[in-house]
Amino acid sequence: MPSGFDELTIRANGEEVRRASDWLHARCRQHEVPEEHVERLLLCLNEVLANVIVHGGGTALSEPVKLHFETSVDEGRGRAGVTVSDAGVAFDPLSVPSRASPKTLDEASVGGLGLVMIRRCSDWLDYRNEHGHNHLTFGALWNVQ
Amino acid sequence: MSISFEDVASDVRRIVISGRLDMPGTDSVAVQLAQLTAAPKKAVVVDLSQLRFLASIGIRALISSAKEVQKRGGKMALVVSKGSTVMMSLEATGVDELIPVFASFADAEKAVLA
Repeated sequence: MPSGFDELTIRANGEEVRRASDWLHARCRQHEVPEEHVERLLLCLNEVLANVIVHGGGTALSEPVKLHFETSVDEGRGRAGVTVSDAGVAFDPLSVPSRASPKTLDEASVGGLGLVMIRRCSDWLDYRNEHGHNHLTFGALWNVQ
Repeated sequence: MSISFEDVASDVRRIVISGRLDMPGTDSVAVQLAQLTAAPKKAVVVDLSQLRFLASIGIRALISSAKEVQKRGGKMALVVSKGSTVMMSLEATGVDELIPVFASFADAEKAVLA
């Protein structure tokens, strides 16, 4: 599996999320990331970008969003990570407490599902805010034969 | 992205959604989905077996519809291919525990009519 990195800059809107998804899918294939992990990364990317668009505010929508993809193999472990950098309202998703899963449809809330999905579909999450930008990294790990 | 429906029995409506329920995809079908699940059939089966991607915005639309159906005393079920990305989204959010999921329309229809 070849190691490497790549970057893409997009605008914060729904159509650009699809372009970002296509880009990430192509990069993962190029770097031979196993398909089941590609699906998880694509779900995370969609949810992170949706949060930027919906909750990031005016600056998030007017400034470019940068994506950084990086993959490597170390001691039999494959690793692929994506960092999303945006200029929106500072938001650390790691600071949000996990909520209990609803037991019934009546209890189910339609909010907060994106964060649940990001947490469940990623093997690690990292957040920092530097120079007025959010930098959220999510990734997948797997064993390499 | 497409949404279509068929009233397959006196009390069952089958809604088929294909494409991607991401942000633009959900925006394009959410109103129709809400209208189709609001009335008049008591039971609803939403067939997602041709759906390629399901983001949380799409899941929100499904939850809202299921709540509407339940409010009028009906049942809603989903048809999803096992092992698919769509199933992964439902499992990751726990929604497969809230809205019954079946691999075939026949099984889903039985469940909503039970």
